[in-house]
Amino acid sequence: MNEGKGRFDIMELIKKVLFTDFVKGLVITFGYNVSMDSVITVKYPDEEKWIPYRRFRGLHTLNRTADGRELCVACELCSKACPTRCITVIPMEDNTGRGISDRVAKVWKVDLVRCLFCGYCEDACPTRAVRLGREYELACFDRNCAVKNREELLRPQPVPEEMSGGVVAKARLRTTPDGIEVVADLSETRKRRV
Amino acid sequence: MEQLFFYIFAFAAVISAILVISVRNPVHSAFFLIVTFMQVAAIFILLRSPFLAAVQVFVYVGAVMVLFLFAVLVLDMGKETMKEHLHGQSIPAGVMAVILFLLMCYMVVKGRIVANPGSYGEAALVNNTEVIGRELYTRFIYPFEIVSLILLVALVGAIALVMQSKGKEQGK
Amino acid sequence: MPDTATILTVIAIVVKVVIATMVIFSLPLPLTWIERKVAGHIQVRLGPWRVGPHGLLQPVADTIKLLFKEDIVPAKADKFLFWLAPLMAMVPAFAVFAAIPIGDTVMVPIINQEIALYIADMNVGILYILAIGGLGIYGIILGGWASNSKYALLGGLRSSAQMISYEIAISFAAIGVVMMSNSLSLVEIVRSQNHGIFSWNFFYLPVGPVWFAIFFIGSLAEINRIPFDLPEDEGTLSSGYITEYSGMKFSFFMLAEYVAMVSVSILAVIMFFGGWNSPFPFTIGLPSILADLLALIWFFGKVCFFIYLFMWLRFTLPRYRYDHLMVIGWKILIPLSLVTLLVTGFMRIIG
Repeated sequence: MNEGKGRFDIMELIKKVLFTDFVKGLVITFGYNVSMDSVITVKYPDEEKWIPYRRFRGLHTLNRTADGRELCVACELCSKACPTRCITVIPMEDNTGRGISDRVAKVWKVDLVRCLFCGYCEDACPTRAVRLGREYELACFDRNCAVKNREELLRPQPVPEEMSGGVVAKARLRTTPDGIEVVADLSETRKRRV
Repeated sequence: MEQLFFYIFAFAAVISAILVISVRNPVHSAFFLIVTFMQVAAIFILLRSPFLAAVQVFVYVGAVMVLFLFAVLVLDMGKETMKEHLHGQSIPAGVMAVILFLLMCYMVVKGRIVANPGSYGEAALVNNTEVIGRELYTRFIYPFEIVSLILLVALVGAIALVMQSKGKEQGK
Repeated sequence: MPDTATILTVIAIVVKVVIATMVIFSLPLPLTWIERKVAGHIQVRLGPWRVGPHGLLQPVADTIKLLFKEDIVPAKADKFLFWLAPLMAMVPAFAVFAAIPIGDTVMVPIINQEIALYIADMNVGILYILAIGGLGIYGIILGGWASNSKYALLGGLRSSAQMISYEIAISFAAIGVVMMSNSLSLVEIVRSQNHGIFSWNFFYLPVGPVWFAIFFIGSLAEINRIPFDLPEDEGTLSSGYITEYSGMKFSFFMLAEYVAMVSVSILAVIMFFGGWNSPFPFTIGLPSILADLLALIWFFGKVCFFIYLFMWLRFTLPRYRYDHLMVIGWKILIPLSLVTLLVTGFMRIIG
């Protein structure tokens, strides 16, 4: 093994005989094994939950103005821009002040089974009504519940817009009739260990 | 009690030995050969020679048969199982086998297979291994060394043959 | 009509066999949990966590899963050998324990009987263990072949070549121990090391540590654990010889592997680290029952350390390439063991 060097390296041989490289590796892994602080696992459903950054692209949200009027004008640009054709928009006439114009969405639904969370709808929206939010627990038991419609998407977000995210929050697992959900307590957060 | 066990082991050994030569699949043959070796080892234990039994298992079952299987595994099974191995010699071979069997029967009946009991009694056999070791390295030193030498020659010969053919390949 | 003493001996043997079998059968339960915990912590994870407190019931859940899993037999598999192979892997692993002592004879106070903490003290013990332990390989070879799958076959082939290469080195290490301790019986080997830490075979300088290194590396290869787990190398062979196995048959292979790991740990302790002897050369005047208990604690402490060492190594070292494995076996371990054998022989003559 030492032909390349031309001379016999006695230190190398001693190191090999005493398994120094092995011992070095073993010491490192033993350090990890005994120190509990080095664990980087996020105890997700039981005790903790990851709050994503604002840039995260999760479930769609439909937004309102500060005085509570819907921003969506049902222009259908989002559904045109969608590469997977997962957004359905049916406009209607409404002058009661529900939206910011007389044209509002009668139906605005997104099929999450097809959606690829690319964010094109967000870019296409002229009034910034559609945003991809920070909700990521989208698993459910049948296909129907993967279609989210206007009423659901108009609800306020569990993680407020002001919060910059990127932290692990205390959470608890809650069983509801529709399934299980992890409720985060946003007041108690910690940085993620790397 | 001991006789009963002897008959069990002997019966199993004979049955599996017959299966070794009668099953078509080489891997099954190898498997039954392992079984045969194990039964023989068990008979060695009945004969108060645990060392020989352990060595039988260790060498034949543990090493030789593994090598055997290693070679058999790389065979193309489909062809091997279908092939007629006797090439039309079955009738003369059968006749020879019957003659050999009769010969052996004659020798068993007429001959004297009771060996003289050795100079070692029951007590000495407790330290079976030491007895064997001492005998091998004193009384049987020449046969022992000659056997070792033959094995060494075989080893060197095998390596020499392989290296020769390898050298030729590289020469081309 | 046999007398009472004979009947008692027979009963004692039967009881010991039953207890040993039951203990060995349930060994993988804690061991899988410990192994996964060690793996988790070394990889800065938590390991099993959700089934029971700290995932303690995980092995039970795994067992239930394996029991109810569909038992798939590949269409063109050799049914007979495919069915037999898991047993052939498991039976030798159990049979080895017939010769493995976990302690010397102890005086049990209540029934006032001498009980030996081993099933059989054979005068060829070490040879028996090597011979029977080597048989487990047939489960792997035949299982690999019978699966009718190229991954499994390659796993079986690798296993057989690996086993032949390293069995020689292990046997040499066993010969070295026999020379140092002057006996083939495992109980005698332990008794020869009862004068404190420097009478242990490991400290039979300068050859003791070399023999131990040869034995340890060889046994790592024999029981197919990382860094020598080429037969089930998931990187290149998916799972090697167990690729086609599922359900209980798969768990038999796993059981065999864990039992082999335990028996190798016990062997290492018995052969090199004084078995149940304490490292101190003096004895404190304890009552005999406490002394026996202490011996058991020493023994299991050492064995646990080795089991942990096997796991520790598994999650520290990468896997060797196959040709490197062969080079280590044939070009390093075997010549080294021959030289060490010579040195040991000279030391026995002089010392």
